[in-house]
Amino acid sequence: MEKLRVCNLSKAYAKSAGVLKGVSFAVENGEFLSILGPSGCGKTTLLRLLIGLLKPDSGRIFKDGIDITDLTADKRHMGIVFQNYALFENMTVLGNVEYALKVRKDTRATARSKALEMLEAVGLSDKRGCMPKNLSGGQQQRVAIARTMSLEPDVVLFDEPMSALDADTRISMRNELKKLQSAYGTTMIYVTHDQEEAFAMSDRIMILSNGEISQLDTPENICRKPASDYVRAFVLDNLQAKVDSLSRFVNSR
Amino acid sequence: MSVVASVFRSKSLGVRSSGLLIRASVLAFTLFCIILPALSIFLRISPDGIAQALSSGQLPAAIRNTLVSASLTASISVVIGFFGSMVMNRVDMRFKGVLSVLFLLPMLIPSISHAFGLVSLFGKNGFFVRLLRLNVSIYGMSGIVAGSVMYSFPVAFLMISSVLRQEDYTPHEAAYVMGIGPFRRFFALTWPHVRKTLLSVFLAVFTMAATDYGVPLMIGGKTITLSVLMYNKAVSLLDYSSGSVIGVLLIVPAIAAFIADLLCPESAVRSFQTRSFPPDDDIRTKALSYAFCFILAVIVVVPIASFALMSFSADYPSNMSFTFHHVLKTIDRGGIRFLFNSVSYALFAAVFGTVLSFVSAYVTSRGKGVTAKFLHLSILISMAVPGMFLGLAYVIFFNKSIIYGTFLIVGLVNIVHFMSSPYLMMYNTLGKVNPNLEDAGLVLGIGRFRIVIDVIVPKVRSTLLEIFAYYFINSMMTISAVSFLAPPAPKPLSLMINQFESQLLMESAAFVSILILVVNFCIKIVCDRLAHGRTVESF
Repeated sequence: MEKLRVCNLSKAYAKSAGVLKGVSFAVENGEFLSILGPSGCGKTTLLRLLIGLLKPDSGRIFKDGIDITDLTADKRHMGIVFQNYALFENMTVLGNVEYALKVRKDTRATARSKALEMLEAVGLSDKRGCMPKNLSGGQQQRVAIARTMSLEPDVVLFDEPMSALDADTRISMRNELKKLQSAYGTTMIYVTHDQEEAFAMSDRIMILSNGEISQLDTPENICRKPASDYVRAFVLDNLQAKVDSLSRFVNSR
Repeated sequence: MSVVASVFRSKSLGVRSSGLLIRASVLAFTLFCIILPALSIFLRISPDGIAQALSSGQLPAAIRNTLVSASLTASISVVIGFFGSMVMNRVDMRFKGVLSVLFLLPMLIPSISHAFGLVSLFGKNGFFVRLLRLNVSIYGMSGIVAGSVMYSFPVAFLMISSVLRQEDYTPHEAAYVMGIGPFRRFFALTWPHVRKTLLSVFLAVFTMAATDYGVPLMIGGKTITLSVLMYNKAVSLLDYSSGSVIGVLLIVPAIAAFIADLLCPESAVRSFQTRSFPPDDDIRTKALSYAFCFILAVIVVVPIASFALMSFSADYPSNMSFTFHHVLKTIDRGGIRFLFNSVSYALFAAVFGTVLSFVSAYVTSRGKGVTAKFLHLSILISMAVPGMFLGLAYVIFFNKSIIYGTFLIVGLVNIVHFMSSPYLMMYNTLGKVNPNLEDAGLVLGIGRFRIVIDVIVPKVRSTLLEIFAYYFINSMMTISAVSFLAPPAPKPLSLMINQFESQLLMESAAFVSILILVVNFCIKIVCDRLAHGRTVESF
């Protein structure tokens, strides 16, 4: 079943040419879609348009068949995890997760119980009394995910959330994110510039270049049938280079 | 606050409308309290006023004296501030905390008190003049420069210290390994790091000294400066036309400093520090540093101590027996009433000034577009407006309004006079706050106002407290703008120093200085403790 449909979405900023040029695509319910592309290709702009933090110049966005283009961000029932997490630094881990629940008029007990459940799900129950500054990057990211997921959004967007994490933490976070998605069946759209990350996690990958979709397909199809020389160069050549260097390392042992 | 909250929450107005309302309010404040009053002075200038100002014959001498005294003050303050900062930041010394407090004490009393301190020590009947039978005169240019240096070197010390503290040690280590000696390292690495700051400090101190009238009025004698000439014309003779001409001349150095700062921003502050400097424990360096600090501490403490001696001695300096007589006399002369006025003005400016600084900085730092840029520049321009200029501008602009001659106009002029530094402090702090917080709140269904109150205000709490202290302290000791506006309104304590001195009530003038110092010191300690959990870090 189709969760999200984007039709002909365009956005340009005052001092630059079009950042997004008539982008159209659909996302299935429970799907994990990665948006992959180099810096400045329009990934973050697309994400901010989807969540409602930016208004498109033209085009429409539908969720469950309803036009949400003119709805404000809080009315779209979607969540976002920012690159820098945007945690509320003066609140504890638990405070961060239950704050929005309280503001949204959940009772204190319900808010607490939902927040604790989410912290349990992301493995941070024992850190609930800690302040964000005392947590590692990976732990801070889990708090941001728990905060977003606690509101049970239909779609969660991720804006390069792992760019500041070390290699080990990235790999463990990938697995945890996939587990969360399976457990809650949430549709996830994940922006990254890391090919390896996109290929490891996604049901489908959208390759974005200069504000246009170069290819939107499964990881397997992108590997086997790259739609253009750009896709081949940007994705496959990079992956091949990584494979080659790993092979050399393994053979040298 | 509930009114603002309801505006923010109002469904009908919506987030966009409430944002517009806040921006419009800040814009209106900037227009009516900064831009239009400043313009009113220029409109007041007439050919007659110019002719009258020129015909007095004092103007060329006043310009010359101002340039000479301000240049000397700025040069000496930069040198003292630089050596003081080097010693405090680079040398392994004990008692740095106490010395920092001592060096910054002069910032807590009015400029006129410094001149008064010098008069009490080196004046005609001064303590040292009688004790050592000296045949020197402190009145004139030497007194103006000495008094101006006393109150302006702490500013230089603070500004230079903050830049030296941020210098990265790693390039020095690399140079040391390459065999480059300490002097070459200093000129190749430290000097480029601080030279723009030194220029900024020079211009800032020059402006301070050129626009202050407290020191030259008290100790200048026959040496008239532009600020004293303006005071005489506008306050004593109520000749606003000539006063406006001199006011415009006074604003020139301030505008020059402002433009220089805009054209040469301090790149050093933004440099990244991987390692801080290890303290130098060379015995000769330490000995010289202790000697320098001792002399500076004596220079700072002796005038302040003379206030205490004068306030509590029977007949300073001939009979030093302890008495409360002068304290009680000062109270009889309305000291407590004037103290209450000052504290009220200071609290008013501190509370509303802090709120205004936060709101304007929030609008300009988190907002985009032309309005935000225009507001930012307008508020920065207020940095170039000297207190005396602002005082006269308010007299001309507001003299037919209902707030003229009331508590409100003095409170308002204090808020505007001291606004640019707190605004910049808050602007820089907010610039470091995560830019996605409001967006995160919006997506989570939490309104902007709640995010500001629940998340951003706690995040910038220490800056808010610093701003509160800054406003309070400066409002307690200012004599510039208030001297134009206070006479019909309740008079603040700081204006009593000159009044008591001119009535030859020297002990009362000294006690007023002590009172201002004690109140300001207490506020500073309390705010520092609330902000940083420690007693003193920097003033």
